[in-house]
Amino acid sequence: MEKERFFSSPAMNWQRAEATGAVEMNCGGGEEFPAFLNINWDQSVEQSTTAQLESALSSIVSSPSSSLPTPVAAESVVIRELIGRLGSICNSGEISPPSHLNTSNCNNTPLNSPPKLNLSMAEGRGGVPIPGGLFPPANFAPFATDPGFAERAARYSCFSGRNYGALPGSQFGIPETGKLSRVPSSQSLKVDVSPLEMDARSKLTGRVSGPPTPMETELKSSQEASSASGESNSRKRKAAPKGKGKESPLSSKAAEEEDGSAKRCKLGESNGSTEKDGDVKLKAEQNGGGDATSNGNDGQKQGNDSNAKPPEPPKDYIHVRARRGQATDSHSLAERVRREKISERMKFLQDLVPGCNKVTGKAVMLDEIINYVQSLQRQVEFLSMKLATVNPRLDFSMENFITKDMHQSRVPLPHSVYPIDGVPAAFSYPYQPQQEAHLQSVVTTNALEAHCSMNPLDSGLRRSLSMQLPPSDGFPDAASQLCNFWEDDLQSVVQMGFTQNQEDAFSSQSFHGSLATTPHMKLEL
Amino acid sequence: MISSSSAGAGAGGNSISGKQPRSGSTHQAQTKWRTGAQERIYNRRLIEALRAVRGARAVKDAADSALALTARGQSRWSRAILVGRLRRRKLLVKAGGKIRRRRRSRLPVKPAEPAALKEGKVGERLRALGRLVPGCRKLSAPSLLEEAADYVAALELQVKAMRALADALSAAAPPPEGSPAAPDG
Repeated sequence: MEKERFFSSPAMNWQRAEATGAVEMNCGGGEEFPAFLNINWDQSVEQSTTAQLESALSSIVSSPSSSLPTPVAAESVVIRELIGRLGSICNSGEISPPSHLNTSNCNNTPLNSPPKLNLSMAEGRGGVPIPGGLFPPANFAPFATDPGFAERAARYSCFSGRNYGALPGSQFGIPETGKLSRVPSSQSLKVDVSPLEMDARSKLTGRVSGPPTPMETELKSSQEASSASGESNSRKRKAAPKGKGKESPLSSKAAEEEDGSAKRCKLGESNGSTEKDGDVKLKAEQNGGGDATSNGNDGQKQGNDSNAKPPEPPKDYIHVRARRGQATDSHSLAERVRREKISERMKFLQDLVPGCNKVTGKAVMLDEIINYVQSLQRQVEFLSMKLATVNPRLDFSMENFITKDMHQSRVPLPHSVYPIDGVPAAFSYPYQPQQEAHLQSVVTTNALEAHCSMNPLDSGLRRSLSMQLPPSDGFPDAASQLCNFWEDDLQSVVQMGFTQNQEDAFSSQSFHGSLATTPHMKLEL
Repeated sequence: MISSSSAGAGAGGNSISGKQPRSGSTHQAQTKWRTGAQERIYNRRLIEALRAVRGARAVKDAADSALALTARGQSRWSRAILVGRLRRRKLLVKAGGKIRRRRRSRLPVKPAEPAALKEGKVGERLRALGRLVPGCRKLSAPSLLEEAADYVAALELQVKAMRALADALSAAAPPPEGSPAAPDG
């Protein structure tokens, strides 16, 4: 969702910045602020130039210009607000985001940190943790106002799964020694910038120095959590800016450099360095978030996708997560879902059809399946022919079993069941026997009828009966009605309990007619 | 479609009918047809249906109908078979309230049926498969594959039951008419 968009755009931006030394912030992706931070952090590690960080930060700062996302994620909203504020802050050197950040959860923390950093950037960008050294001390004044910056950073890290606090803290620690309690850790970050950079790539997999490690772990955990792709996105973004922030203090370059880098970042956005960025991010993502798959990958994918187009990629629905190396636009996603469905069904068929395991490829497998279905159908035909010849025997053999039961229960039935022969047949075909008991009785009657060698009459009666048989509810209904009629006509036949069905759609007239014949038949007999 | 068909089908709760999510339809089809209960149901229905049948074609139709009945109308091919039988019978056309209702309820659930869903060899095969499975001529690939899986399972069940029945009948009862059928029981 939004987070994912954050991912893609900022991820790409950061990566580009990495390559080009200019952090590209998804200016259009204000929502991606956290992502920017993540990306920055990640990339910052890799980037060895503070300029990159600066540019990343600037890009992040610029991102606030992007429209605020729906209040789906408080973080994003807060972030955007912060970004906006940062922009203003940077320009005016005022920082007042902390209030926002404080109100929100840890997500806010990143905002806090970035704004402060942005201030240093002196650009109207989102809150990118800009190293204090890079910017005029005035910019860091706001930081001073945020005593709990480190805490927020920590919270931010939890939001993004990264210990951003360490990163921003480091930055702030430099300019404001007494401000951040976590400064030491952050300072260590600064020291470890270079190793951090190196570790950036492996941070997910390996462990960098203390401060980075928590970030890495958080990053990994966040990646793996995959609770929201946006988170990972934001994580990446945050990482990027954070990394940049770290670097900046080290270099303590002039703001102009950062600005320049920021500008370069913007330029870099359009550059084709996305590949590297994407790769970096992907590596980071994959290393740390192999499980994240979709989330991280989505971010990556989006990043890659958005590389081509600076605006965040349109991700309508997030039900499907793109995987690495796959397009992420909605069309391809839907296509992929469709293909997965089909392949899943094909696999199922493969298990069903014998001998399909070795076959690979849809066409060949479909061939096998078709052959198998045809062979099955042919077998059915052959067996039906065979059964047809054996059918008389069926009647006779079954009758023996049934007549016994019949005699036990109903003696008069044999006389009255003759005409029923067709009924069960007709019923059984289209109807689902609602009452097995009735079915049984009908069957028995049917058997008896056959036994009486009423076949010609039976068939005729059957046809007539079937013609008049209406109900789809089940042949029991018709049979019951027939039975009832017989009872009325002849004697009380065993009630099969079909009386209630008499009201069914059966046309009793037809039955009457058929019944009329039965007595005649009986009489004839 | 399953719920509607179940409602229409009514009795016979032996099968694993009921509201089953479409997503697990394939697995359900597999489990549904693999159970011995289904087999027994079909066997019974088959015997009953065959009782009054004369002629090879009728036997086959009866067997198919019994199979479709056992499917409880949960699959398109079973409904197609039943509807076809109904039409042929004529009598059920007007009385096919339940079946008609089933069909109507199924209509809204029309599957996506792009005529040229897939081109190339795969598309050819898919269309051929659609022709083989009753009532699935124009069906989207995933639903067609689903129906085919269900149909294959049902066919296997049918073949098994018919073969057992034919063997039992030919072996149990010595042919009084001296029919040359079933030499090998």
